Amino acid sequence: MPVYYEWTSAKKSNRIKHDSPRFEVTSYPLKINVITIKESSSSSIIDHINKWSSGFEEVDPLLRFERMSLEEDMNPLEVEKIEGVNYSKAWSTKRAGILSKYTTGEKLTIVSSYLPGGEKTLIRQVSNLNEKVKHRLEQLDDFDEGSVRKTMGLTQQEFVTKINLLNDEIKKAWETEQRVKAFKIGIQCSKLLSDISVMQFYPSKFILITDTLDTFGNLVFNRLKEKSFGSNTLVNVHNIDPRTVPESAKETCQNWMYKMASIRELLPRLYMEMALLKCYVFISKDEIKPAVARITTMIRGIGNPLVAAYLRVYLCHNASKLLGKDSETYFYANLKEFLEEYQQIFLTAMRKKYETQLLTQDKYLNLYVPAVDWLLFGTLNSSKCKSDLLDEFIQKCEQIENNELFLCCIVSAFDSPTVIKKAPKILEMVLSYADKMVMINEVLASLGEHLCKADNHRQVASESLIQTWWKIASSLKSTNHFLQVLEPWLQFACTHLSTQHVNVILRGMIRYMIKCGKPADEFSGNFQFVIKRMLKSIPDVEELFLMDAFMPLVELVQTSSARTMMSKTVLSIFFSRYNSVHIEDHIVISSLMRLCCILHDSINAVTVEDESKICGELINKFIQAVTYQDDLERQLNFYVECRSSFIKLDAVLITLVHAVNTLAARASPARGKWLQRACAAYCFVTVPSLHCTLTKTQLYLLSGQVALLNNCIGQAESNFKALIGLIPDIPDYILEDGQKKSTHVKVAGILSDFLSTLLLLPDNVDSNCKAYILSGFIKTMERIHWKKTEPLYYNTLVRTLDLLCEMTQDNYMHHLESVLSNDELYGCDSEFIDVLNRYATNICQELLVVLKMLGDNKETKKQYHLSLELFWRVVRRGELTERPMMSLAGNLWMLSQKTQDSNNKLGKAILTALQKEANPNIRILLQKLEEGVKNS
Amino acid sequence: MSSISTVILLKRASKVYHEGETIAGVAVVESSSDVRHEGLSLTMEGSVNLQLSTKNVGIFEAFSNSIKPMNLLNTCIELAPPGKIPTGVTEIPFELPLRARQAVSPGYPGLLETYHGVFVNIMYTLKCSMKRSFLNKPVNASCQFFVQYRPKEPAPLKPVRCEINPATIRASAPGGPRAPMPMFQIYAEIDSTVCPLDKPLTGKIRVDECSVPIRSIELQLVRVETCGCAEGYSKDATEIQNIQIGEGDVCRARDIPLYMVLPRLFTCPTTTTVNFKIEFELNIAIIFDDDYLVTENFPILLLRSR
Repeated sequence: MPVYYEWTSAKKSNRIKHDSPRFEVTSYPLKINVITIKESSSSSIIDHINKWSSGFEEVDPLLRFERMSLEEDMNPLEVEKIEGVNYSKAWSTKRAGILSKYTTGEKLTIVSSYLPGGEKTLIRQVSNLNEKVKHRLEQLDDFDEGSVRKTMGLTQQEFVTKINLLNDEIKKAWETEQRVKAFKIGIQCSKLLSDISVMQFYPSKFILITDTLDTFGNLVFNRLKEKSFGSNTLVNVHNIDPRTVPESAKETCQNWMYKMASIRELLPRLYMEMALLKCYVFISKDEIKPAVARITTMIRGIGNPLVAAYLRVYLCHNASKLLGKDSETYFYANLKEFLEEYQQIFLTAMRKKYETQLLTQDKYLNLYVPAVDWLLFGTLNSSKCKSDLLDEFIQKCEQIENNELFLCCIVSAFDSPTVIKKAPKILEMVLSYADKMVMINEVLASLGEHLCKADNHRQVASESLIQTWWKIASSLKSTNHFLQVLEPWLQFACTHLSTQHVNVILRGMIRYMIKCGKPADEFSGNFQFVIKRMLKSIPDVEELFLMDAFMPLVELVQTSSARTMMSKTVLSIFFSRYNSVHIEDHIVISSLMRLCCILHDSINAVTVEDESKICGELINKFIQAVTYQDDLERQLNFYVECRSSFIKLDAVLITLVHAVNTLAARASPARGKWLQRACAAYCFVTVPSLHCTLTKTQLYLLSGQVALLNNCIGQAESNFKALIGLIPDIPDYILEDGQKKSTHVKVAGILSDFLSTLLLLPDNVDSNCKAYILSGFIKTMERIHWKKTEPLYYNTLVRTLDLLCEMTQDNYMHHLESVLSNDELYGCDSEFIDVLNRYATNICQELLVVLKMLGDNKETKKQYHLSLELFWRVVRRGELTERPMMSLAGNLWMLSQKTQDSNNKLGKAILTALQKEANPNIRILLQKLEEGVKNS
Repeated sequence: MSSISTVILLKRASKVYHEGETIAGVAVVESSSDVRHEGLSLTMEGSVNLQLSTKNVGIFEAFSNSIKPMNLLNTCIELAPPGKIPTGVTEIPFELPLRARQAVSPGYPGLLETYHGVFVNIMYTLKCSMKRSFLNKPVNASCQFFVQYRPKEPAPLKPVRCEINPATIRASAPGGPRAPMPMFQIYAEIDSTVCPLDKPLTGKIRVDECSVPIRSIELQLVRVETCGCAEGYSKDATEIQNIQIGEGDVCRARDIPLYMVLPRLFTCPTTTTVNFKIEFELNIAIIFDDDYLVTENFPILLLRSR
């Protein structure tokens, strides 16, 4: 087997034009249809950005438990068809809300005799015993197993655990027939509710303890039920007929009631009676309502307004469970009772208490909000005519002192249409009390929220409302409150008033923020909420940038992190709401540019990858959206400016290169070539600053192609040269989304694209070497350290061979209109052809080496394919009349048949294709092949 | 060794009977083997136990002179003649009429309501006794039951109203200069001092004015037991229960309901007999923040009425 075959490419002047049907078309048939889709759904960009963080957004375990317990609550027994409102559902949301809102870092104290640990103390009881007897009793108590222990210094979490422990203890005691013990634990639990030493936690404590009381109530109820009806699960509170209850169960129930009625202290007695309220059904159904009414008045005996308020909540909650719709009168009755005792809340004694606990008045008043809300909730459901009720309440507010708590609650409890009707009146009232009102921010904020829901423009006198509001708001002392109030009202202004009005408010806001004397950064969180709300609610988001107060407002925050957050917020909401594809307005462009710069400047060495990804994404959106229509020069200037501003972000640079290439392609030659050259230069200069070699290669290729298209041969050539220089540096693997991915497929694609482009590229006639760029490429391939058995390597060689053969033709397959390709440049100059053939010979030689190596490595499948590929090249592109070519073909065929894999599909396909050929050379070859097969 | 036990079960779960009614139930004998016995009898007993308190008489006398229990009722019936009780559970039903003794001795009060007090106790028991051959101990079981009067027609209400202020307070606890009394004006009302036993005691209290914070408002039910005998008599007031009706510094000028469920067994209709008296009183106590205590006393009459 000769080791050296000289390659001669076949001239296929006659090959010309297969007889495929041809017709003239107006557009290129293989052109990709460019469809411009504006992402219409407003959330899409946010979603898109969020996808990077979606991994973290699993339901956190606490929330999951919460949900689970909600589901548990929905057991079929409890789900009662209550006409109107589902109170149990409303309660469970309320419950969760309270637990999450009222928390504390203070130390808590628990007093119980059923918990391990803690120091022993006898709680001093209000009694008339003389000291001596008391002392003896104390001593006795010390020996008693159930002596009262006080555990102090508990954290909130520990407290919750203890309460749960007590809850379990009740169940355990109950199961072990120690029912009186369970009862006693219940009493002790409810006694804890008289302790207001950590007021801030009181609402949550209330929830925890009433849960425990519910447990006890259920235990008693279920036992009585079992005593009466066995394990009949169909029986529930609502369908028990006291007449069918056996005497013994009645007696037991009666006993519980007597036991409960003899509890010495008022608070536990009331709580226990409420917990046992549903057991009255075993005695007589008629007892429930009078009992509820009686307890309603008995609560008056509780002097502490906070304790009393929550006592009423529990009463109404239990009443709603038992009576459903009928309970609503009790809600109202309790609300009235609460109002009667309203001034208790503001007693100096209470004031002292909360002040020693370092609570501010608004925080203190906030403790009442859930209670009043709950009472109002039931009251409102009962009332047919809400607007009359609101009138009544507003009147009440005018009559009483310190009306802010009640006002705040009614404003948030009533539905929007009713409140909107009364909005001017409420606002007037707030204005008149403004200087001493404490929860003014809450009132205004919830009033604002209601107004935001007003859809009818004529329904409200927006302007006068806003004016009155501004009077109040601008004199607010706390900046946080101001921002809180501003949030809904700004939305209202955005949706109901003109841009000028909004602008005036924004100016006022800036003035306020400056006047308040503290840097805006302290409030950046609230500040952002305001801006966000405004961005989301303004009808035309572009208009915001046209207001002269908006940008100064956004830049009011000073620290870079706050600014970055702000810009990010503004940009992401802007792009999600902006509904045309292009941005043309110069003011908008420069504002956005400013924001993007802030965003970009925030990126430094320690910025996490995701963060810069999001920034890049946003800036890209901006770059893609900006257009100067036909003013291409300005467009290019813009890109230049962008490059200098966003140099840190590769993603942005890539977008810029693409954008400039698009621009170059758009530039018509009539405009003069300088723009195209400038674009080409831009790309060539920009690409090297990127980090990823693969991307660089791609962009060089693209830029080179665009330059070639515009007949900027020099620029194209330099791009290609740079590309070739980069090939050895391409890594085998790149990191993509945290995974190592092989680059081979991509590289192979780029290289074959590159090689096909080279066909069009006119040779550099100044150089002393023919096929200047191609020879550079071949030399690089010779030096490259790729593994020779790698498909990437030999496939690239095969492709190069293709190109070499194609370049020898008289007339190339395709041309670019203005570009003079080599066929015309050299016109089949023999020197040029010789050079090409020499290269082909070398490559062919190299391929034979590869074939041998594949054989040595026993990679027969690869060897089989490569040999057939090469055979095909020789047959199709080589000049078979030349002896070396003919024998090469023969040998390759033999090799392929020797190493053929199971089905030899490719070989057979090639053979059938050859058999159809009329070419005499092929005939000879075929004959030879058949002989060869026979010989072997 | 064979084990044997007896239990008395009453038909009525509440175990409450009125005079003239029939007490019905079963005596349950549970035995692991056949038992021979000399007769099974059921005794119904009712008695008043009186005790003199140490306060009024010397300790010695209190022990030595503790008054002999008064017998109110003593009936005996035979449940089964001497014979044999088979293995397992044997239920012997019985019915006994609840009737006062016929031959009345002087001072015999008739059937009184069951009452558990400190110095006076009125108790009714059923005892079942199985006599056995003299080698074996008799097997006994007992069971309490409660006697109540038949409810009478409701008595007319007797409401009381009172005002409590520094002027109305008697100079209680003499001796020692007291801290100056705080200013207060309290109005209290009891719906009726004649109270049916199974209805709660109700009323209201209103703090119109009070210069110091109030800590607690309480309602105290007190029994006054008087025991008389040849040597003299003792009269003692003790607390039955104390119920808080106001906690903390309650709102001024608001009616706070007074509400007390009268406890069973520890109360009975107000009773007066030759040998003893059971009476009840109600105290309203207002305790100020500095432990200053103001009380107002109301004698009340408890009745068994509808």
